[in-house]
Amino acid sequence: MSVGLTIRGLCKRFGEREALAGVDLEIQPGEFFTLVGPSGCGKTTLLRCVAGFARPDAGEITCDGERLDPLPPHRRNLGMVFQNYALFPHLSVRENVAYGLRARKAPRALVAERVARALEQVHLAHRAGDFPGMLSGGEQQRVATARALAIEPRLLLMDEPLSNLDAKLRVQMREEIRRVQRALGITTLYVTHDQEEALALSDRIAVMNAGRLEQVGDPLHIYRDPATPFVAGFIGHTNFLVGAVESVAEGQARVRLQALRSQVADAVSGVVAPSSDGAAGQAVIVIPAGDVAAGQAVTIALRPERFSLSPQAGANSLPGKIEETVFLGAVIRLRVATAAGPITVELQAQAAEGLHPGAEVHLAFDAAAATVFASPTDR
Amino acid sequence: MAGSATASKALGRVRAPRDPWQGVLALSYGLLIFFIAYPLGELLFSSLRAEGAWSLVHFAKFFHYHSDALEHSLYVGVMVTLFSAVIGVPLAAAVTRWGVPGKALVRALVVLPLVSPPFIGAYSWILLLGRNGWLTRLLEAGGLPSLGTIYGAKGIILALTLNLYPFIFLLVSASLTSLDPALEEAAANLGATPWRIFRTVTVPLLTPAILGGALLVFLTTLADFGSAITIGVDYDVLPTFIYKNFINEMGGEPAMAATAGIILLACTTAVLLVERWYVGRRSYVMSGLRRAAKPEVAPRLRRLATALAYGIIGLSLVPTVVVVVTSFFPSDGPIMRPGFSASNYLHVFESVPRAMFSSLFLTAVATFVCVVLGVLIGYLLVRRRSQWTAGLEGMLMVPYAIPGTVLAVALITAFGRSPILLTGTVTILVISYVLRRLPYAVRGVTAVLHHVEPATEEASVSLGASPARTFLRVTLPLMAPGIVSGAVMTWVQVISEIASTILLYFGSWATMTVVIYQQVVLSDNFGPGAAASTLLLAGVFIPLLIFNVWQGERAAELM
Repeated sequence: MSVGLTIRGLCKRFGEREALAGVDLEIQPGEFFTLVGPSGCGKTTLLRCVAGFARPDAGEITCDGERLDPLPPHRRNLGMVFQNYALFPHLSVRENVAYGLRARKAPRALVAERVARALEQVHLAHRAGDFPGMLSGGEQQRVATARALAIEPRLLLMDEPLSNLDAKLRVQMREEIRRVQRALGITTLYVTHDQEEALALSDRIAVMNAGRLEQVGDPLHIYRDPATPFVAGFIGHTNFLVGAVESVAEGQARVRLQALRSQVADAVSGVVAPSSDGAAGQAVIVIPAGDVAAGQAVTIALRPERFSLSPQAGANSLPGKIEETVFLGAVIRLRVATAAGPITVELQAQAAEGLHPGAEVHLAFDAAAATVFASPTDR
Repeated sequence: MAGSATASKALGRVRAPRDPWQGVLALSYGLLIFFIAYPLGELLFSSLRAEGAWSLVHFAKFFHYHSDALEHSLYVGVMVTLFSAVIGVPLAAAVTRWGVPGKALVRALVVLPLVSPPFIGAYSWILLLGRNGWLTRLLEAGGLPSLGTIYGAKGIILALTLNLYPFIFLLVSASLTSLDPALEEAAANLGATPWRIFRTVTVPLLTPAILGGALLVFLTTLADFGSAITIGVDYDVLPTFIYKNFINEMGGEPAMAATAGIILLACTTAVLLVERWYVGRRSYVMSGLRRAAKPEVAPRLRRLATALAYGIIGLSLVPTVVVVVTSFFPSDGPIMRPGFSASNYLHVFESVPRAMFSSLFLTAVATFVCVVLGVLIGYLLVRRRSQWTAGLEGMLMVPYAIPGTVLAVALITAFGRSPILLTGTVTILVISYVLRRLPYAVRGVTAVLHHVEPATEEASVSLGASPARTFLRVTLPLMAPGIVSGAVMTWVQVISEIASTILLYFGSWATMTVVIYQQVVLSDNFGPGAAASTLLLAGVFIPLLIFNVWQGERAAELM
């Protein structure tokens, strides 16, 4: 019953700005598919193109073998949940949910039955007579979902539906959304800037940046194996090491690391970008050679949890000094100054007992867990 | 409050220091009771007394012989409201939705009629279409059929509609701007056609604004005296009926004026109550996260909308333009001669220099008093909330409902005899101005003060500044934009006031509005009348212009 969505060569410009620079996407029937990226990356524009509120300059959108792009929004039969819910303030919860069915001139009995079922699905049957202004944020969100589901849409589109809720409710509601989506098996296109939300909810994720898809894949794949430094920096915490390959032998590459001044987090996207003065430093590490060649400049991404503390210096261990410790409950986050720049490390709380700023440590890491990118040469 | 009171009792009666604001509270109550409640009571009393006994004979007589004044008032009110909506709503849609170019200019021009005195609008339609009007004579000269008489209901409706439609325009366009575009998108997403969206989402959400504006227009029309007396001539509406009965020493009946006054007050109060009730019940809080994106509009529709918008605005500016142009033509009574001269102005300066002084002086004094009271009461209402201030807030609503004519008659009834004889003094003029404008001045202050964190003042006190110093150095400067906007609005309204002035003025204290009325209505002296009107318009627009230049973008939201 569920249908897929195919997007080909989608382009959209707003004046000078390229919001979508040729996007191709294939969403499988029944899939929960998430577009994630920093604000301005084009994810909402893409969603609005599918919904019909933005007109693409080029490309086509196909759903269930039917071209969507020539259709006006009200003929597309896609349920959309808006960021601020867009509940009709002059209509009761029941009338809000019935709105789409009434627009389709559905018979009275059918409207009543479908509205009741949609409200049942989101556990709001008891608020049917209330007006949106009387509901809490979470309840409004659920009405918006019920309203979109009541028309039995081909697809469910969700535009940052949880961004107006507080942190705890957000986690609760995303489980709720996932539950309803699974129960109905409805193909869902979900937009968020919250990478954690994307990882928690999705069957597959597309990471977007500057109007392009950086990587498409399942959450685990994207987290473990980021295709680009952007993805590595945007999804989860990442340490970047920058260096040059000195030699390659027996499947191992020796990399001399540069001393990074800092790992700068971009104010808008939160993406970490290494900043270096280009001078080769002291530290040398050995990584699986992969397809790197001697003399090549490389950027190595390592997750904070891939580091451990080792008692003494060894291969692939970086000496450093703890600058800061942050207790986060189950884990402790350390900021360690090393010859390769500041590195963030996350350790199980008990493994880090007794550590305090100023302590000298050796950071060991699992070289196999490193993701190696050829550094862009036009730096 | 209650909690802290019991707490202090438990600690053994800490006496709170005397709050000077309680004095302000008492003074405000005193003023409103003495100058509004008491005179209105007197008015009601005189409408219910006949030959030394309680009687409904005046009301019976009014409904028997003079009910046409009430009917006329209601008819004109309904028509003006209807036409204002017909003009105001599409204009708002055209400007906010259909991309009419020059949005800022349109907004500025639309507000102009609202602040220009309605009787000048009426007067200029007489200049154009009256017995000796330019167009009338042009048509006659060309042998064309006349457009029919402009005097009477038709003229009042024309003049007031073009004067008051901005109320509806402003409210509806504000509502359209704050309308979250996601609501209409949601409706489209749910399968509603554009027409269905308009019917089931847009219109219901605009209804509060349309009705709110309509009630304002209706209320203002009911209270209008100036244009009815100017262009209505023998077509009596309630305010002109009251005036004629009160002023006419031969056939007039003061008791009939009082009775009609009570009836008019009942009408305006009812409208005001409906308005408050409705707007209070039906205001949707819009959580617009996104500003409305400019929807794509077909060029043809945009051209049509542009023509329509500028056509309407042009029409509503005709009165102002006609008056200003006429003022520069030499004239001989109602006969205009070709040429260009300042002779009308010389005539005004020579014959009524005193009127200009009176207008400026009275307006300045009334504005000053109004602003001082407005600041004190506004502060009281926001920062010293209690059931007492709630009562004060309620009493401050009363002046909104009182037409100038009714207030003047009430004041004369109450203070026209000893022991408190105030008629024939400047005081009573100032009082009548201040009373009717006080709510607006208060509102200007409270609007701003609601946005000032009390913590700002607390910070000042915690740094060692006394409450008085805090008020002067922190609160007052922060309120300044609200105070100035209140002052400008008070000035604009008072300087063009005619309804109560014409009843309360005496001797040499005739203001410009009275002079214009006498020049035009009583003596058909078009030239000097136009010159005086132009001067009055300058007195209205120059302060507004200064305020707008000073406040720039913020001016609109402060008004």
